[in-house]
Amino acid sequence: MRNPGGVFISSGPAGDHEVDTFTCAHCQRVTQVRPKERPEDLGGFCTCCAKLVCASCHAAGVCRPIEKWLEQQEAKADRRREYGL
Amino acid sequence: MAKYAIAQEANQQNLAATFKTQAAVLAGATARRGKLYEFMVGVNGSPPADNELEIDTIRMTVDGTGTAFTPNPLDPADAAALATGKVGYTVEPTTTANTFLVYFAMNQRATVRWLAAPGSELIYPATTASGLCLRAKAAAYASTMSANILFEEQ
Repeated sequence: MRNPGGVFISSGPAGDHEVDTFTCAHCQRVTQVRPKERPEDLGGFCTCCAKLVCASCHAAGVCRPIEKWLEQQEAKADRRREYGL
Repeated sequence: MAKYAIAQEANQQNLAATFKTQAAVLAGATARRGKLYEFMVGVNGSPPADNELEIDTIRMTVDGTGTAFTPNPLDPADAAALATGKVGYTVEPTTTANTFLVYFAMNQRATVRWLAAPGSELIYPATTASGLCLRAKAAAYASTMSANILFEEQ
């Protein structure tokens, strides 16, 4: 992978095994990437945020970047705190 | 951004057929976003054998009961982390089923390390008690394992 989102390294008696990973831009699920694997086989490419997404986020068909989800969670917590809950 | 380590070197709990949280990082009372960028897991119990272990990383929404671990700053000049570190849970945190971020199986004899490239870290929100758990389970192996989490605070 040209710009991997991470690397997964397993070391054991049989030797080392290393594989690239990418992190879904929507839900952050980490997926292993085999050499020369196409984006559509990993999940898909979100044409809205122009990032790789996992299969379940691609199937959902909605662009919800992780930043947006984080802001929603923090706003929800702020409201609960304001209401004294 | 300061970087910290949480190591489960004490208070290790035996694995079971259901997921047990080995180490976790969660936003503290003064909440700040954090990014988990690396973890390492390995088995330190006996006897050595070819058992299968399953590991995952999942978001928590409510903390469980575990032993507090003060995150160690990787740069000694950095201030103490606002996040809370915990290891060796005896009561599991509340998580949402099937929302794992990383999931893999490994051999008991292996050591596994995952590290994220900048921009691909696992982020938890600045919401008190929101965080990330590193969990493990094993059908046949019933002893302890070691886990190590590296994260940074924004």
